[in-house]
This record gives sequence, structure tokens and C-alpha cells, in this order.
Amino acid sequence: MNALESLPTWMRKRSTLVLLVVGVWFVLGTILAGVHTLELSTATNTPATDWLREFAASIRGSRAESPIFVYFFNPLRGGIEGFIEIIRAVIAVPASGNVIPIIGWFGVVALVGYIVYASSNWRTSLLSMALLTACGMLGVWAYTMDTLAMTVGAVLLSLAIALPIGIWAGLSDRVMAFIRPILDLAQILPTLVYLAPLALVFLIGIAAATIATMIYSIPICVRITAHAIRSLKAGPIEAAESMGSTRGQMLRKVQLPMARRTIILGINQTTLAALSFVVIAALIGAPGLGKPVIEALTIRNVGDGVVAGLAVVFLAVMLDRATTAAVQHSAELPPEGPALIRRRIGLIAGGVLTLVAIYLSRFQLWAAVFPENLVIGEYIANAADAVTEWITSTFYFLTIGLNENFTIHVLNRVESLLANTPWYITIIAISLLAAIIGGRFVAILSAVLLGAIVLIGLWNDAMVTLTQVLIATGIVMLIGVVVGVLAGRSARIERALKPILDAGQTLPAFVYLVPVLALFGPSRFAAIVCGVFYATPVVVRVVADGVRGVPSDMVEAAVSSGSSTTQVVTKVQLPASKRSLLLGANQGMIFVLAVVVIGGFVGAGGLGYLVIVGQSKPELQGKGLAAGLAIVLLGVVMDRIAQAGARRNEKKPA
Amino acid sequence: MTMTSPAPAEVSTDAAISVRGLWKIFGEKAHEIIDSPDARLPRPELLEKTGCVAAVRDASFDVANGEVFVVMGLSGSGKSTLVRCLTRLIEPTAGEVFFDGEDILTASKARLRELRRTKFSMVFQHFGLLPHRRVIDNIAYSLEVNGVKKETRHARAMEVIELVGLDGYANHFPEQLSGGMQQRVGLARALAVNPEVMFLDEPFSALDPLIRRDMQNEVKRLHQDLNKTMVFITHDLSEAMKLGDRIAIMRDGDIVQMATPADLVMHPADDYVADFTNDIPKSHVLTVGYIARPAGDGEDISGQPIDADIIIRDAIPRIVNATGPVPVTRAGESIGVIGTDDILHLVAEDASEGSAT
Repeated sequence: MNALESLPTWMRKRSTLVLLVVGVWFVLGTILAGVHTLELSTATNTPATDWLREFAASIRGSRAESPIFVYFFNPLRGGIEGFIEIIRAVIAVPASGNVIPIIGWFGVVALVGYIVYASSNWRTSLLSMALLTACGMLGVWAYTMDTLAMTVGAVLLSLAIALPIGIWAGLSDRVMAFIRPILDLAQILPTLVYLAPLALVFLIGIAAATIATMIYSIPICVRITAHAIRSLKAGPIEAAESMGSTRGQMLRKVQLPMARRTIILGINQTTLAALSFVVIAALIGAPGLGKPVIEALTIRNVGDGVVAGLAVVFLAVMLDRATTAAVQHSAELPPEGPALIRRRIGLIAGGVLTLVAIYLSRFQLWAAVFPENLVIGEYIANAADAVTEWITSTFYFLTIGLNENFTIHVLNRVESLLANTPWYITIIAISLLAAIIGGRFVAILSAVLLGAIVLIGLWNDAMVTLTQVLIATGIVMLIGVVVGVLAGRSARIERALKPILDAGQTLPAFVYLVPVLALFGPSRFAAIVCGVFYATPVVVRVVADGVRGVPSDMVEAAVSSGSSTTQVVTKVQLPASKRSLLLGANQGMIFVLAVVVIGGFVGAGGLGYLVIVGQSKPELQGKGLAAGLAIVLLGVVMDRIAQAGARRNEKKPA
Repeated sequence: MTMTSPAPAEVSTDAAISVRGLWKIFGEKAHEIIDSPDARLPRPELLEKTGCVAAVRDASFDVANGEVFVVMGLSGSGKSTLVRCLTRLIEPTAGEVFFDGEDILTASKARLRELRRTKFSMVFQHFGLLPHRRVIDNIAYSLEVNGVKKETRHARAMEVIELVGLDGYANHFPEQLSGGMQQRVGLARALAVNPEVMFLDEPFSALDPLIRRDMQNEVKRLHQDLNKTMVFITHDLSEAMKLGDRIAIMRDGDIVQMATPADLVMHPADDYVADFTNDIPKSHVLTVGYIARPAGDGEDISGQPIDADIIIRDAIPRIVNATGPVPVTRAGESIGVIGTDDILHLVAEDASEGSAT
């Protein structure tokens, strides 16, 4: 009870301070508007970006001579490219003088179906085959296979590295302590910032895209695998120790089998992360569905974008369902008696059918190349165009109107406070807020990192990006807390929301851009909407978990002492799950940042736009790299402030 | 108070396990504390001063071959730590633990594994079964890690499955069994290697009272049939009384008293022990020999004699139904008589103590 009573006064005190700082900031910002804002046109370089450009050029120049390239990077690139090309040759790319890859579409569908059946059940297998066929019907079979090959290859390579490291980190505290900061950093790095540096070292192409994908997915897999080992029940392990197991026996016979389910869950997450990254990695030459998506985004061709985006969605749903079913399958008891016999017959028959299908796909044209008369992609593209047209013209006030109003009344005001105020005042204000929320150390860190952004010369763009991130995070938290509390309190709502939340967490962020761009046009608002779409499911889930995690006797005690529902929520459930709220805010912010920078594609400006421009214009390459660096610095500042706030809150004596 | 674990200085030869000066201190500078006067500080003061917790303090005792040695104490008294120190599941800070003349605490890792695989076995409060293995493979685990062939170890597992009444469950997974059945698997697993000493750490605390009683009887039966040496941890004094040949009572890491059940009830070492034992009806623990008195003048002592080692409760019907006092004999020698009045006195004593607490 003490904690609950002391919290509001503590918050009141702190929130007064925050209001005070923001107020002074606002007044000074209004008086000194437009002074020392460090605004810089896109085409202008600064000393720092010039230096980065030359540095990039020198790396390019040394590719053929420098020993680290000759003996490490170049062979690594060759090896990875070779590995991926083998997979592509099987399902995606015809060998020279041939019209089909080693296995034609019919064989691939059957093979995927069989693999899914063997690792889970026939229902999921049918679903997977249907989804793959649907990709073919969209008319993007070849792109789909490229994406699948890239994803499978990147996942295999990631697992080969991540599983051993994850297991080691699960067993050893020292290893965990060593890799934890790396994992933490990887989690806050927005995907977009890996691309340019990797392309610089590994050239644009499959190798750079694969390595970027691995850098993105390996930490996820390591984290879950280590967690799987660490969270095992102590009882069976102690028992196995008391029976004289060696360390190897313990790992093989006890820990790994017990952790199997969670490790497979990690593979599910790794796969989805890899898929979403492979799509984005089209920016640095990854073959596959990302290409048509980017083309559609660049020329605002909604119809084609929707078709390619749908194929990504189908592929994501297929990979998610298949791996999730494998998780469930691994938790079930092995079949016995008649069920076991049925299963064996199924496996043998399925295997024979798959071999037949593969044979057909090599020698029958209809099974080798996806039949033209089944392709309906064009109709869908046209329909999507028509629907978009209709919505934007009929609901003009909702789409463009909402966009304009929001931009004028909210977006521009916040942006002018952050970006149109003298830079030193903004830095001081942010650092003061950091001090109030997270303490002295974070305040100094914020000042230093923001100062570094000023030195790089991208201050103004960084503030444009920060504006969008803060606004989107605010909206995400608002929706997240309301929906999260509802879902946490009611099992029915939670069940109804589950498919939406699952979909939200499964879909690659990139595909949101297509419909949002269609509805709201290229604007900062569109980027914010994307960020909200992408980050809300995570926040809802974290908040709902937190609310559900409040001990039921605490809630019962509040109800039995006569609290209304609102009182139970505001006085018990929210304060008691405060940690989850803060965690949700932090997660939401990081997710939003990742998408808002991608929003550079849809006219959001800011750092993300510079990254993308730097990718296409050699003279701005330095600026693109600098923008990537600035995104990292911004991400670290926001993450540290939020984390320190959460920690400080935890330490508060009850 | 720390000196109240009266133990023979010599390591006795017929003991299965001899423990001497065993310490376990959790914390950073545990080893420095052992030799300093701080070690004698009461627990809260030690924690305050050094940040360390003394879980076991200077424990010394012998467990005889075939004996059921019970360690009893409330939670946090150090009993679970003590039993884990004996097989080094927790590494003790200081002391000696002799098994067959060998100090386990200095044994190599490989030797320790060998002992765990063949000589010791343990039963855990929360069973500690491997969820991904069938009952038979759980039971055969020790044999498996010791390299015993599959046929041999499964044959042995089937033997102990029968022994603990799990027939027909060999191919079930643990989660398919009730708590009581799971602990039978735990018992079977501990018996599979035919160990010399079994350690049971609150094996029945997680079970319902009725199941618990069944399982206690099961352990009694197994002990009578197999005559294994057992170190049994519990927080339940009546369980301790029921199963233990001797009971060590722990508090705050110290062994405060070590005695037979009857001695505990009759001569509690201090108020702490008395607090526990007051609730135990004396007639349930004491044997007839304890309250036998010399025959009074003119008393008829010609009735059918009764053995001195019978628990009083079990003798009550015969004594009450007899026409006069019943003679008590030990090994054929008469040691006195016991009459209905004596029983009533004892019951009255129990009743007054019960109401006093």
C-alpha cells in the first residue's frame, strides 16, 4: 500500500519539473525561433560527411589490395554468396541453358509441404502449400523463391553461429556478461543503418544482404537460446547432477531436450526477422520481393506494391505458421499405437508423393513454370489501385484531411520546438529532462551524444526524425495502454486481438509502407502512421502481460474494499504493472525509430531520407553514412533515458 | 549454542556417513569468516557485519548403517543445504564428510561422479523428474550416464518399478502422473542403482496429506525390506517421529539436538525443541518401557507380559482390557508393570501441555 500511496506524489513532483522545463523551452523557442537551427539542405556536405565520403572511397579503393579484404572480407563474401547461390539454384534461379531451377514450382510446393508435415501436422502443411501457390498466383513466383532462398540461407547461417553462442551464453555467466551489451545494442539499432556500411565492405549484392540479415537475426536467436537454457527448472538439473552426469551428458540428455521448445521458438523468431530483413535488404541488392516493393514505393505504383507486399505477407504467414506448429509439435507427447502407425504411413506416402512432384516439376512444363493462366496478380493490382482511388477520393477528409490537420496542429508544433529552436537550447532542455527522468549520468550521456550529432552536422535532420519518433511513440503508448489494459483484463478481448497482434508482429515493416503511402501520400504523417502500426502490437502485448501479471489477490482485495473498475485500473493494475508500461514505452520507441527512418522512403525526410539518398548518390555517400551514425546516437540516447527511468523507478523503496 | 552438537571425536567405523565440523557460509568472503570469531555470531548479526549467511554451522554427526537419520527444522534452518553438502551438490565451506573412510569433500570430480552414480542417490521435494523422458528412462538415468547397456538398465528399471508399485506406468511421461505417482518415480529412480545411502529432501512436502501418509508407509516398508541407510529431511515433526531412528533438529544453521524420538519428547534440549515436541502426544512416541514402574505391593503381576519396545498407543487396548497391571519385559527380563492409571496420567499430561501452547 505504501508504494501506491507514495507514487502519485513522487510523480507529481517530477511531472511539475518536466512541465517547467518544457515551458521554459517553449518560451525560449518561440522568442528565438529560427536562430541557430543548423538547417542544412540535402545536397550540402559538412566537414564530417566529406571526411566520411573520402573514408568510404578509400575503403572502396583498398578492396583489391588491403590484406584484410584479400584474406578475410573478400573470401567471406565469396563463401556466403556461393552458399546462397546453391540454394537459389535449387529453387529460384534457372541454370544457364535451362528454363527452370533444379526444382520447378510444383516440386517446391510439395517439398515445403512435406517438410512442414514432417515437423508438425498435415493441416499446417496444407496451409503452407496453399500460401506458396498463392504467391505464384500473384505472378511473383520467381521473386518469392529468391526471397525464400535468401531467408532460408540466412537463417541456416545464423543458426550455425547463434545456437552455439546462445547455448554457451546460457551456460556461462561470464560469456553472457560479455555478449549482453552487444545484444542490447543490436536490439536498438534500426535495420536501415546496417545497410550502407555493409555494402561498403561487401559490395552491393547477395553477400552484403545476407550478412546484414544475419547481423539482424543472430542476436535475436542468441538471446532466446540463452534464455531457453537459463530459464530451465532447477529441479531436474540438480537431480541429474546428483546422479553423476558429466557436463556433456547434462547438456545432451537434460538441458538441450528440456530447452528444445524455447529454442525452436527462437528459430521461429529468427526466421521472421530474417524474412523482414531480406525484404529491406533489397536496398543493397538482395534479390526477391523487396525489389518490386521498393520500385513500387519509388514510383508510387500502389497496385504492384500491394501485389508484392501480399506475397511477402503470405510468405511471412507461411513461415510463422510452419515454425509455430513445429514449436507446438515439439511440446506434444510422441504418438503411440495406431496414431504412430498412421504417422509413419503418412510420412512414407508424403515422401513418395513429394518425389513424384519433384520429378514432374523437372520434366513437365506445367509443373516446372507457374502456369500463366493461374496468375491473377494483375487483377489484384488493378483492384488495389481502384480501391485506393476510391478511398482517397471518397474519404478525402479522412485521409488527406487527417494528414493536413495533424501535420499543422501537432507535427509542426513539436518539430518547431525541437528543430526550430537554437540547437544549444534544445540540447540543454533534453539533457535536463534526461536528468529529471533518469539521473545525472544519463543527462551527461545525452548531452555528449546529441553534441556529437551537432558535430557530424546533421542536427536539424536528427530533430526532424526525433519529432516523428516522439509523436508516434506517444500515440503508440496511448493506444497500447488502453487496448493493453482491456486485453489484460478480459480473456475474450485478448483472444479476439491475438490474430491481429500476431499479424502485426509477423509482418515485415516494409510492407506497411505500401498501403499507408497509398492512403496518405508521401509525408511525415505517413511515416508516423507506419511507426504506430508497427509498434502498437508489441506495446499492447507488453502492457497486457503486465496487467495480467498483477497478482489476482491484489485485484480481489481492491474490489472487495469497494473500488470501481476505473479505480481498480488506475489505482492497482496500472501502478502495479508500471514496470511493464515503462518497458513497453522503451520497446515502442525503439520499434518506432526503426520504422520512422524507413519512412524516409515515403517522404518523411529526416535522417532516414539521407540514408536512402546516400545509397543512390555517390557524392552524398558520406552524408548517408553520417545519417546512419546519427540514427544510432539518437537511438542510444532515447533508449538510455527510458532505461534509466525504468531502473530508477524500480529502485524506489516500497 | 553452537557447541550443542555433541559428536564423538573419533570417526566411528560402523557409520555409513560421518560428518565432522561441516560449515556452509554463503557469501563472498566465506572462507575468511570460518576461522574468525565472526563465525560464532548469530545469523542476523553475521549478515549485518559481513553480508554472508551461515546456512550450516559446525555440524558433526554419524549416520549408522541401515539407520534412518532425520534432519528436522523450519524453512531456512539449513537442513536442505546440509543434505546437499553431504554429496557436494552444494560445495561446503569447511569440514569433513567420511563415507567408507574416504573424505568426500576432497574427492576428485570423477570420483564424486562415480559415487553419485553408484553409492548415493537422492529424492527431491519437487521430484526433479526429466519431463522429456518416459518413466522407465527417468529411472534408468543414473545407469545410463554410467554406461550401462540399454537392455540391462531397462531390466533393472522394471524391477524397481515393481518395487514401488508403478507397474504399468513404465512408458508414461511424468506429466501424465499424479504428484504421488511422480514421487514414486523419484523413489524408484533413487533405488535403481541399489545405493548405499539415500538422501531424501522433504520428499513428501509437496504432496496431499493422504498421499503423504501412503508414501511415508511406503518408505517405512522399503526401509524394512531393503534396509538402506537414509538421510531424511523434513519440516514435519510427526513425519520425523514416524520414520526416524534418530532425529537432528536444526535452527539457524545449528544442530540444536540430536536424539531418538522418545528422548526428544522426554528431554528436549531447550525451549525451542520443547516448543515442537509439546504438540506430540507422548503416547504416540514413547514406548511402554519409558513409563513402566516397579510393581507396587500386592499388585498382581501374573498377566501376559508386554514388550518394552511397543509404542504406548499400540499397547493401550491390551492394558485397558487387562484386569490388573500388565508386566513389562525387555528381552525376557521383567522391568516393571504398567496399568490403566499410568496411561491416564500420561494422557492427562499430554492434554495439559497441549492446552498450554
